[in-house]
Amino acid sequence: MASPLTADQLDRIVHANAAALDLRIAIEHRPGVAHYFKLAADMAELVMGLPLGPDDESGAVFTPVSPEVGS
Amino acid sequence: MSGTPWQLDAASIARQVRDGSLSARTAVEQALNRIEATDSRVNAFTSLLAERALKRAGQIDKHTRRSELSLAGVPFAAKNLFDIAGLPTLAGSKIEREATPAARDALLVRRLEAAGAILVGANSMDEYAYGFTTENTHYGPTRNPHDLAHVSGGSSGGSAAAVAAGQVPISLGSDTNGSIRVPSSLCGTYGLKPTFGRLPRVGSYPFVASLDHLGPFARTVDDLVLAYDAMQGPSSADPACARRPPEPVRPQMAGSVDSLRIGVLGGWFREMAMPEALAAVDAAAEALGTSRLIEWPEVERARAAAFLISNAEGAALHLDDLRRRAQDFEPLSRDRFLAGALLPAAWVMQAQRVRQWFAQRVARAFETVDVLIAPATPCVAPRIGTEWMELGGKRLPARPSLGLLAQPISCIGLPVVTVPVWGMNPQLPHLPIGVQVIAAPWREDLALRVAAALEGRGVSSAPIATLS
Repeated sequence: MASPLTADQLDRIVHANAAALDLRIAIEHRPGVAHYFKLAADMAELVMGLPLGPDDESGAVFTPVSPEVGS
Repeated sequence: MSGTPWQLDAASIARQVRDGSLSARTAVEQALNRIEATDSRVNAFTSLLAERALKRAGQIDKHTRRSELSLAGVPFAAKNLFDIAGLPTLAGSKIEREATPAARDALLVRRLEAAGAILVGANSMDEYAYGFTTENTHYGPTRNPHDLAHVSGGSSGGSAAAVAAGQVPISLGSDTNGSIRVPSSLCGTYGLKPTFGRLPRVGSYPFVASLDHLGPFARTVDDLVLAYDAMQGPSSADPACARRPPEPVRPQMAGSVDSLRIGVLGGWFREMAMPEALAAVDAAAEALGTSRLIEWPEVERARAAAFLISNAEGAALHLDDLRRRAQDFEPLSRDRFLAGALLPAAWVMQAQRVRQWFAQRVARAFETVDVLIAPATPCVAPRIGTEWMELGGKRLPARPSLGLLAQPISCIGLPVVTVPVWGMNPQLPHLPIGVQVIAAPWREDLALRVAAALEGRGVSSAPIATLS
């Protein structure tokens, strides 16, 4: 399933997010980064396409940390 | 099993060292000699620990309770993301050469050594575990011992190749999206990816903490069981490690598999597999007496979820180095890391929810079946340098596609034993391909019993490569 975002839209997201993170992308790496960002956008189209409700929990579960006994 | 010590499986070495018919020193010397004789061709090791290993062998030979050690004198190796005292933990990278040497061994290395095993070296891998081929630019490719022109698989390629080449009978690897199962499949070894949270990851370099698993490779199922049982037990130092006591599998291994409900995974797992992968699964299914096809819902979305979580979480871990020294990353994965740092948060959060949704649906499917089988890789090992493959009517990049049958399963943490099958590709009959034997969470015992049945019925084996 392909992302509906155009190449120009994807390019603008890459530039804006890289700037927000202070992540400089060298000219020679830009075609590769664009390729893999497009691949991720296609994957995102798949996961965003699954209808989920408020009860559908995240798979990332936090475990509270107890103090070490005796410390 | 008979043969010179380097040809023996771990169970045979341990038995002979326990009864005094073989010294641990001889076992270690033979392993080191085999590595010396073969590794210029295979390239499975980045460090050898001869002095440490021989010293440890001397201690085992004098051990007053040697007869109680389940892995007495067994040489083993570990992927170089496991901490080894005194060495920087490379994780396949150039960058980590500058890291402070580890103060102590990783917990699983310590547990294996407590059972009498002896660490002889560190294995090569894809940089930061982000790859399925171990074509590492910094350290050179790890070659498939069964055909040196082909990849070993990855990211634990050195660990699988070392076992396949007869350099060690047991090794350790990690599996985030398939990094034990893919090299097991391509190198023709047995591999165990336990349930997510079963084995503690303390002292190992993470790739994606949400998905990382650790586990063993071996040339027999019995050796997998020996290693796995020696490593079980929780650790509070790994927040993802379940607080479960050890559940030893060895006492369960004599149980019959005839009463188990076994099925074959359909849909995605057959559509994205080449004929040799389907033939291997069909041979295993026939040997197990099943033709029951089971289809999980939304497998492609689960694979996409694993892809996004890995891409974003893996990149975030290295953000500082990506900012300062992107040129020092592996060229084959650098641009993927850079792209992963830029993913919108909503994509990743949704991926985690899809993961949970998928896990719940698969759990329902396991109410009517005990074990499922599926191909571990879409095909046998490609030649080194292969860029593209045809799958499901699509032209896909070869390297990431090697994991697309493994990713949906590790995404939800199910235990899997990979069993190698031979002769399934008429053009490449000397190359193996793996079948995943999959069980519900915490039922490693069932997957291992079915794997042992396939081994016992002659469908699966893991011979040492001739390296001719």
